[in-house]
Amino acid sequence: MTTTTYTAPATGRRRPVAWSRLAWVTLRQRRGAMIGLGVFLGLFAIYLAVMGFLQDHAYAQVAACNSGTVRCHQLAQAFTNDYWGGNASVLLSGGAQSVSSLLYVVPVLLGAFLGAPALARELSDGTFRFAWTQGAGRTRWALSTLAVPAAVLVAATGAFTALFSWYYRPFLQDHQVSEMLPLGFTLLGVAFAAWTLFSYALAAFFGALLRRTIPAMALTLVVYVALATLTALDIRPHYMTPVTMPTASVTNSTGWVISQFAKTPGGQPVSLNYLYNHLPASVQNSQNQNAFTDWLTTHHYTQWTTLQPDSRFWPFQLIEGGWLLALSLVLITGTVWLVRRRGA
Amino acid sequence: MNIIETSALGKRYRRKWALRDCTLAIPAGHIVALVGPNGAGKTTLLTTAVGLTRPTEGTISVLGGTQAGAPEALDRIAFVAQDAPLYRQLPVRDMLRVARNLNHRWDQPRAIDRLEQLEIPLGQRVGALSGGQKAQLALTIALARRPSLLVLDEPLAALDPVARDDFLASVVEAARDEPISVVLSSHVLAELERVATYLIVLTRGEVRVSSPVRDLLETQGAGLEEIAMRYLRAGAPSSRTDRPSRTDQPR
Repeated sequence: MTTTTYTAPATGRRRPVAWSRLAWVTLRQRRGAMIGLGVFLGLFAIYLAVMGFLQDHAYAQVAACNSGTVRCHQLAQAFTNDYWGGNASVLLSGGAQSVSSLLYVVPVLLGAFLGAPALARELSDGTFRFAWTQGAGRTRWALSTLAVPAAVLVAATGAFTALFSWYYRPFLQDHQVSEMLPLGFTLLGVAFAAWTLFSYALAAFFGALLRRTIPAMALTLVVYVALATLTALDIRPHYMTPVTMPTASVTNSTGWVISQFAKTPGGQPVSLNYLYNHLPASVQNSQNQNAFTDWLTTHHYTQWTTLQPDSRFWPFQLIEGGWLLALSLVLITGTVWLVRRRGA
Repeated sequence: MNIIETSALGKRYRRKWALRDCTLAIPAGHIVALVGPNGAGKTTLLTTAVGLTRPTEGTISVLGGTQAGAPEALDRIAFVAQDAPLYRQLPVRDMLRVARNLNHRWDQPRAIDRLEQLEIPLGQRVGALSGGQKAQLALTIALARRPSLLVLDEPLAALDPVARDDFLASVVEAARDEPISVVLSSHVLAELERVATYLIVLTRGEVRVSSPVRDLLETQGAGLEEIAMRYLRAGAPSSRTDRPSRTDQPR
């Protein structure tokens, strides 16, 4: 073999491989997953659109009828039964209540489905030995691999939220529910996209850590359920100091009720539970449903409710979206760090 | 210029040293055979050279002083890992495009020509290729990057005899036609004897010999395989026991 002359390594600033080319690689590799995402959300969107049109038609009659007559009341009642409760004889309708319960788990399903294989598959198949030794370098490769599906997910779930909000609007208008209630809250505003992004980042991180897709998905599901439950029960109520108002002035759509209590005639707060256990037996055993309230009124107790009012919907959305976004960025940074330090 | 230069290089996985006190200087322009029994540290040495593995101790530089794994090194070193990992679900055409989009330098006509010669259809899924075709595709992708150094880890292990012969012929041809250095590893020297111009014997994480084949043949007056066997035996724990009793203490 002849000795050959080698060109000296290029000096000066080296131009990194363009992001657009890296993005093409990610899109091509994750094409199946993206199509799956599109089909899933697309079918769900068609269902919501059809139900939404039917609902709008039915709701128009309810809205037009505001004379307070018995007929109007029945119309509103029927609308609620059909479209919220799911007694409509159209399609396979479970009603908005069931639809929103179902959608509650969609962020983690989508996030785990797209996020867990992102790195786990490369690591378990050994293809990272190909990907990480190309000219682009593993850091840029990892950023593209993580960011491109994340952007697609956020765009898709954001668009889906817009459609869902339109679908859900009659129930909010009709004073059926408060948009602050946990079920609606996570499906409206920015929360749905934010929880999806978080699940995705979590799944990608676990995928890089465990190197296997299925365990990463399972762990993501567990952590998501734990954090989502904790958030609804113990974190979200504390975003802002709750408002306390007389229970009498609270309606279904005033806000998200955190707690209820009574005040003694002297103004001391006391729990309803405590009062109930110390009532005279005649009241406790009464057949009259209002016996408790009547007793409180006659003894000059007042009833109070602590709640997060509907007017705080957007501040709460932004707070929740903000910390979820921050957490997602931490997880993505952690994933890139795992990729950078991982050996062969 | 040395294509790979190491100084007291060591890599420990948990408590076991895969590579220990490895000092080497491989000059450019050779087809280097890296030979040693399974578990000798060949893969560790190669993955460290391409920047996949970070050394526990010592230093390693490539292509005349560039730090292993640096962007300049990634640009100019093509690595084919054992079993030639590629994206199985992609058609060959898209696999090429993936590689092209991950690199600065890419010679598309060369890749297409080679695949045509090899009769590997562009529309075929990578996962549906035979072992020999897959190895050739990995080599094609590596060569299309126009590397200065081509690193092949156990490239022949999964191939049948005909595919081995074809693969080695492709490597020799590439090394003849352009200024490229090649490092191949194998646990069977016989496979590389025909093509190697430089020999490194590695046993139990330590270098036994590192020398141009011509010098070895001149000084030792024996066939290459016999010479290599001497070094392999010298590095074995003891001549007659089958069970290696490995101590992890530094010498």
